Amino acid sequence: MSIIVSAIGQGLTWGIVGIGLFLTFRILDFPDMTVEGTFPMGAAACVAAIYSGASPLVATLIAFVAGMLAGLVTGFLYTKGKIPVLLAGILVMTAAYSVNLRIMGRANLSLFDKPTMLKNHFLESLPPYFDSVVLGIVVVAIVTALIVYFLQTNLGQAFIATGDNPNMARSLGISTDAMQIMGLGVSNGLIGLGGALVAQNNGFADVNMGIGVIVVALASIIIGEVVFGDLTMNQRLIAVTIGSILYRFVILLVLKLGFNANDLNLISAIVLALFMMFPVLEKRFRIRHTLAKGMTKHD
Amino acid sequence: MKKKYLISGVVLIFVVILGVAFFQGQQKQKPQAKPTVGILQLMSHPALDAIHKGIIHGLEEEGYKPGKNIKIDFQNAQNDQSNLKTMSTKFANEDADLSIGIATPSAQALANTITHKPVILGAITDPKGAGLVKNNEKPGGNITGVSDQAPLKEQLNLIKQFMPKMKTLGIIYTSSDDSAVAQYKMFVKLCKQENVRLKAYSIANTNDLTQVAEQAVRSVDAIYVPTDNTIAGAMQTLVGAANNAKVPVFPAVDTMVKQGGVATYGIDQYQLGVATGKMSAQILKGKKKPSTTPIKFFRHGKLIINEKQANKLGIKIPANLLKEAQQKGELIK
Repeated sequence: MSIIVSAIGQGLTWGIVGIGLFLTFRILDFPDMTVEGTFPMGAAACVAAIYSGASPLVATLIAFVAGMLAGLVTGFLYTKGKIPVLLAGILVMTAAYSVNLRIMGRANLSLFDKPTMLKNHFLESLPPYFDSVVLGIVVVAIVTALIVYFLQTNLGQAFIATGDNPNMARSLGISTDAMQIMGLGVSNGLIGLGGALVAQNNGFADVNMGIGVIVVALASIIIGEVVFGDLTMNQRLIAVTIGSILYRFVILLVLKLGFNANDLNLISAIVLALFMMFPVLEKRFRIRHTLAKGMTKHD
Repeated sequence: MKKKYLISGVVLIFVVILGVAFFQGQQKQKPQAKPTVGILQLMSHPALDAIHKGIIHGLEEEGYKPGKNIKIDFQNAQNDQSNLKTMSTKFANEDADLSIGIATPSAQALANTITHKPVILGAITDPKGAGLVKNNEKPGGNITGVSDQAPLKEQLNLIKQFMPKMKTLGIIYTSSDDSAVAQYKMFVKLCKQENVRLKAYSIANTNDLTQVAEQAVRSVDAIYVPTDNTIAGAMQTLVGAANNAKVPVFPAVDTMVKQGGVATYGIDQYQLGVATGKMSAQILKGKKKPSTTPIKFFRHGKLIINEKQANKLGIKIPANLLKEAQQKGELIK
């Protein structure tokens, strides 16, 4: 049972990364590769700040700022430098590697014996692994609420319009460049925040921890969409976090099935592919209809 | 509206799971008759695989036969560090009696998840520097293990004997590999003491290696490679570039000599694994405690010479070394 709790805790933490990528991948509608650099950058900034004596909360906020700065660089390269966004992201991701080594001063920093947001009296009094669940729920709730609020402001509406149709948005007098830079900044800030939480949960930051982050975040977004179908914007944000938890369940399931350890990536890819084919299979076998039938009362 | 119910439904399921788990949280699992050992490996490559095999052999030597009187749960994170936490939690959840981490990030993930059962470090260069133990002599907590720290001085002297006319020595290491960087720093100090001119090259990942190696072989007379997991995985690339320029490669690890290095005083990775396995078995039996078992360092390596490679590069092997390799070490023909 506790392994499921741990998976939910990790899913919530990674959900923040998913929400971050959602802002660029779904709302602004372009792929942002910066995340593989900003995720370890958030982790590095957070751990380095804790080492220099900052409180874990301050360190986590510093991680947000660090991620945001990197995102802003991508934004400027893309809008002002006219570099295609995929390439701009890759450039910043590559540069982030060296920056992360500079931030930490080495390739790997451990949080052994250092304070983290998980090491406080209340969280340590909970049963095992509930610390990351409680922290995850609090952070996801705050982040989701802030974004839901933001998207309903005038600025937020302009942001959505930029992603939907940049030409239309420009004709309405919206500065699409500013919107895209802002989106990349906030998105990467959130991913840095996610990196900081993962580092505190795992107990260390490592320059290589960015490998595969974009896959995890995309999987969270897509699983959420596939499982729930068409949703309103606010519901979609929640669906990303649920998708992220389900992704952790997939990994857990693959581990539980006890295949050869070297086949892990293959098996999780197959399980994910099945997930993503759900709409096709659904049409064919009417799975959702059958499931819905199982949930309603007999008339 | 239906969608709303669906989302609420899924969230409700999570809440129920959490609720049930909350009340079960404090319950203890039954003790198992067969001890379980979890082995967590960061990724597959020859050196780490050799350690893994050695661990199994070490356990067997102490009387633990996998599947018979011991259960081994082996996990490989395939270099995706987001898997490490889930896998560590799996060990904790199985109530594994002992966990072994191969490579620094896996050891750190285990150390952070498992606090009440022994965690054994399988070949971590500097456990104290990696923040895993307070003190290499008296670890104090639930963590101890075996270090793969190479005998750097012995190795540098070996290079000098092979290359008496050497003017500049090059070192190539991976900047993202904490233990490789730690060794690089020690090696720099050592070269200063010994008055050897050292030129350093670093790579971020294996894709950089071809160009960096080609650059390096033009300006040095020999290349030293520390215990570096990334370069170990791409040794052929480095050897290819070095062969073209007729520059010998002296690696720190025996498996890398087999892949085209010239010679080393190497710590056999397999023997490291065996030592890790034996230490684990003694802790399982209750003969030793992690808190009072010092980190095991290998001070002297075994001489391994790749004669084929030396002949190819036209390097004359000093007679005394050739004899030593034949008698006490290993000579690859």
